[in-house]
Amino acid sequence: MLGPGRQERSWIRGAQSGSVSDLEALFREHWPRTHRAAFLVVQDGAAAEDIAQEAFLAAVRNLDRFDRKRPFGPWLHRIVVNRSIDWARAKALRRETAEVESGDEFDTGDLGTFSQGVAAGLASLKPEHRAVIVLRYLLEYTPGEIAELLDVPRGTVNSRLRRGLDRLEEIIDREHK
Amino acid sequence: MSGDMEVRGALQRIQAPDELDAQRRAWPLVRTAFDAREPVTWPRRNLRPVFAAVLAVFVSAAAFSPPGRALVGSVQDAFTDDKVKPRPALTSLPAPGPLLVNSQRGPWIVQFDGSKRLLGQWAEGSWSPRAQHVVVTRNHTVAALLPNGTVRWSIARSGAVRAGRWSPDGFRVTYLNGRELRVVAGDGTDDGSLRRVVGATPPAWRPEGDHELVFSTVDGRIELVRTDTAKTVWRTAAGEVPTQLVWSEDGERLLVLGERSLRVLDADGRKLWSIGLPVGPSGVAFVRDSHRFVMIRFSPATGLSNLVLLQAETDPGEARVLYSASGDFGTLAVSPNGNWLLVGWLNADQWIFLRLSASKVQSVSNIVEQFGGAAPSSPLSKSFPKSVSWCCPASP
Repeated sequence: MLGPGRQERSWIRGAQSGSVSDLEALFREHWPRTHRAAFLVVQDGAAAEDIAQEAFLAAVRNLDRFDRKRPFGPWLHRIVVNRSIDWARAKALRRETAEVESGDEFDTGDLGTFSQGVAAGLASLKPEHRAVIVLRYLLEYTPGEIAELLDVPRGTVNSRLRRGLDRLEEIIDREHK
Repeated sequence: MSGDMEVRGALQRIQAPDELDAQRRAWPLVRTAFDAREPVTWPRRNLRPVFAAVLAVFVSAAAFSPPGRALVGSVQDAFTDDKVKPRPALTSLPAPGPLLVNSQRGPWIVQFDGSKRLLGQWAEGSWSPRAQHVVVTRNHTVAALLPNGTVRWSIARSGAVRAGRWSPDGFRVTYLNGRELRVVAGDGTDDGSLRRVVGATPPAWRPEGDHELVFSTVDGRIELVRTDTAKTVWRTAAGEVPTQLVWSEDGERLLVLGERSLRVLDADGRKLWSIGLPVGPSGVAFVRDSHRFVMIRFSPATGLSNLVLLQAETDPGEARVLYSASGDFGTLAVSPNGNWLLVGWLNADQWIFLRLSASKVQSVSNIVEQFGGAAPSSPLSKSFPKSVSWCCPASP
């Protein structure tokens, strides 16, 4: 049986040669965490779905140029997390300029099964800080890898992680009391 | 550290809303994009750099010798012949129904026999339902004209007036006054404000609707409002502010096209699917009597614009490429009989007429010159007609 790295390389090789089943295997492997990561950063269900879709479409369009020796996940996650940060920043700007409106709306931005306390803590962080937390604790990258993915110094990653974690721990502790 | 573990545990447990359905919706799009791509074969991937270098040397040598110049010329001729020989002037349309062309000089009406009339110094115009009138805007004025240019009524407002659109039954006209959305009766009476602040997108009347108008809010929500009561029927979540809102003919599907995304909604405002778009020109037009639509999709990697046929259903279907060319496509219009698609090809200064039911193509060149010409310092893209409507949909 192939290991995870070799298995993924085999899917990429297959997809590059036109195999739909290998592409589907790659999609199934990476969609859930990619979608979830986008959702945790943007905190909006519809936007997260769009961003994850866009990231996969970008990946498919560039599949032939992809270097098979490199892992697929970081490549995809770099696209999705950076787009999520951009979207969340733009949303914050829109909120400053938009008029407050009332009425019915289809807003899918609820937080599902995530504890409301931790959700509130995450939502209170800046998008860049949320992204670092998500990359570290959901996608399990090291601070060095995160620095590379986001193109920021490692010290910045560490300070964002520390600040974000402090905030979340504070809330988790409060919930446990 | 226990805090680390708890945060990790909490984040790993979280599920995005609608996670499985989102995955089901995404896969057909990914599959479609995969099928639409052109796979790079081993020789192409590996020999391309070598070939490019050899070609560069050859072309450099060819271009600097008289026989070489002749060779380059014949290659260009062959390319032109291989595509479509364009007619130098628009002497007739391939299908009945007049065109309304919004050019830099103003709106023009083009008849089936190719004759055309400039409606005057108006910024833009849009047909009334049966092409008996045109609603036009300029600076602070909205007006209704007869096709011969006679003004039937006009209204002046304080803001920059634009995006006049006639309702499908002919009894209402909507327009933007700065950021304000207003509605006036078809005879120019009862002018009133509908919403004080909206997005910059031209609003679109819902066909078959009871004076229902869709517009964008400043944060990219799409809202359907019944204009006679000013009551909101539905409103979507925030998103990209669109550039174009286009209804299917039966009013059951709505395309929300932005610079970076396309959202496909049903009549109740529910999203059927959406895709991200690369930066570049885009546009959409429904095929008549159908939920299928044509989209301009630009590929930054190749510099090609593609016309792609998709469907506004839960499943977008297999993307079928109808036509491709290098550069930018600008305008789209479907003929009233549904047989022909007009596509503006900016870089070539041409209109392409594609027969949708057969692989037949006609083209007409010198479009900028025929619709008022370009200012000497103005790029072609600025002077090319920005929208075309083929009688009789109410909005371009």
